[in-house]
Amino acid sequence: MATATANINFFQARKGLFSWIFSVDHKRIGLLYLYSLMTFFLVGVTLGLLMRYELLNPGKDLVEAQTYNQIFTLHGVIMIFLFIIPSIPAVFGNFFLPIMLGTDDVSFPRLNLLSWWIYIIGAIMALSTLVFGDGPADTGWTFYAPYSVNTTTNVSMSVLAAFVLGFSSILTGLNFIVTIHRLRTPGMTFLKMPLFAWSLYATSWIQLLATPIIGITLLMIVAERALGVGLFDPSIGGDPILYQHLFWIYSHPAVYIMALPAFGVISELLPTFSQRTIFGYKAIAFSSLAIAFVGYFIWGHHMFTSGMSGTARIIFSILTFFVAIPTAIKVFNWVATLYKGSINVQPPLLYALAFIFQFMIGGFTGLILGALATDIHLHDTYFVVGHFHYVMFGGTGFAFFGALHYWYPKIWGRMYNVKVANIAFTIFFIGFNMLYFPMLIAGLMGMPRRYYDYLPEFHLPNMISTYGSWVLAVGLLLMLGNLIAGFYKGKRGVGRNPWGGITLEWQTLSPPPVQNFDRMPEIPKNGPYDYENKPIIKE
Amino acid sequence: MENHKNHHNDDQHETHHIASYKEHFSTLAALLLLTFVTVVVSVFGANLATLSVATALLIATIKVIVVAYYFMHLKYEKKIYSWLILLVVVLFVAFTVITAIEYLNR
Repeated sequence: MATATANINFFQARKGLFSWIFSVDHKRIGLLYLYSLMTFFLVGVTLGLLMRYELLNPGKDLVEAQTYNQIFTLHGVIMIFLFIIPSIPAVFGNFFLPIMLGTDDVSFPRLNLLSWWIYIIGAIMALSTLVFGDGPADTGWTFYAPYSVNTTTNVSMSVLAAFVLGFSSILTGLNFIVTIHRLRTPGMTFLKMPLFAWSLYATSWIQLLATPIIGITLLMIVAERALGVGLFDPSIGGDPILYQHLFWIYSHPAVYIMALPAFGVISELLPTFSQRTIFGYKAIAFSSLAIAFVGYFIWGHHMFTSGMSGTARIIFSILTFFVAIPTAIKVFNWVATLYKGSINVQPPLLYALAFIFQFMIGGFTGLILGALATDIHLHDTYFVVGHFHYVMFGGTGFAFFGALHYWYPKIWGRMYNVKVANIAFTIFFIGFNMLYFPMLIAGLMGMPRRYYDYLPEFHLPNMISTYGSWVLAVGLLLMLGNLIAGFYKGKRGVGRNPWGGITLEWQTLSPPPVQNFDRMPEIPKNGPYDYENKPIIKE
Repeated sequence: MENHKNHHNDDQHETHHIASYKEHFSTLAALLLLTFVTVVVSVFGANLATLSVATALLIATIKVIVVAYYFMHLKYEKKIYSWLILLVVVLFVAFTVITAIEYLNR
């Protein structure tokens, strides 16, 4: 084990393109996901900027109404299915889960590689709608029937792409569940697992159980379009509300596929940068499972205005409030973790704090939408768009970039420029809130979502929002530029543990060796955040 | 680092179980019989109307349990894995029942 070859890091092990795209090393697969995800993310951001530019003034600014419909659909499909659903599990889960568990790979490495390939095939299928058929779908990312059955745009390929991408998600989830059950290092019981692993465990169960439902639902759309089977279109005997049920039975739990891993990241960042034990370890761990479980039963709150039964609407509204309980448990525990900690303000912590602030805005606006009476007024307004982006981008997106800044020195063995990272964060944070907060206001004023044009009274919030999108883009480019510059020119020799963390990944080399550890990792006796009995890590 | 197959923890069972031929063939026979029953019900039990679907689903569920228990060695695993599978079934039933309640109350 302590031989020189054992310490060859995973970058040095093999060279060449094929050594990457056919690698079964979980670390390389994590990075393959990172590079592909970021590519699609930038495409999604570009589409988002185009939408915002179009909405700068009432009337036409840039594109026609039909093009606008296609842009927001593609923006949604890319951001949801290609970026945010895979994001944290596929990149940081793949890279760090085995290391945090003290093992050398996931349970099924080949299946892991297959899931990346399926992801790429699904992505190509989604983007192919830009050039093949009658243009990208114009239905919105929800593909609501019966419009998705009737439109002439290339809906079939878009939903098939989402269907294929679902398999990638299922395989990753399956791999993580088995890895967590079977490959934990000796001595690491479930209650000694890092909270990131707990969050991935809860997420994986959703990926495994909920994703097949969207798969079959999307195939039903294709069957209806291609074969005329009356499933969702009332004119041929279908039920459009059934589509919404099936879609949201998956897509509401999918919100937790997107959010739970972010919770896990925050639960790692806060103890490290406050140098103290996480407050309420068990409460945070079990609340992940509770969110995953309760999240299965509240899909109907997306359908309050669909025409479904009044009884069901009341039941779904009540159930929705239950999910706020485990979520609030997490937030209170995070804040309590910071209390009296030795806080070290570094870029990852800034992202974590921004996460808490923005996720709270997203969460509270979610309660307003979960309440039946207020939702009737706000449904399909910009309030929903603002809420959704506060949760997904302000929450998960910020956690993703926080994780990237946190694990950056471990992955690449170099450090980015911290000062530039702080400036980039500040611009990014201001831009984000300028972009999305006015949407909440516009929504409250009654501006409907998914419209190409708007009344003059909505001009001011839209103008601020579009300017905010430019500020956000500057912050994003500066952040990514800084990270890329760090890759080429960043300070080497960051050591094993630049942040003073105590989960197992900080005990190994940076970058980690091929087999993950050059020596047996030491499992802390009193759980993964026992800062009082911190293991001494020798370089 | 030793190969991960040598890792042990609370959930891991390294003992290999070799099921007897008798068990394998009995399971196979049971599955074939259930398939035969499914066909019989669908062909000859058409007058059962909606019950035909319920019967087919019931038989399929029994087959799933037989495959998981014998072929997939659930019988040798810790009880937690049986509970996890039961949880999946509960979720599926919940989705179906909630959607049906909504439809019937519309």
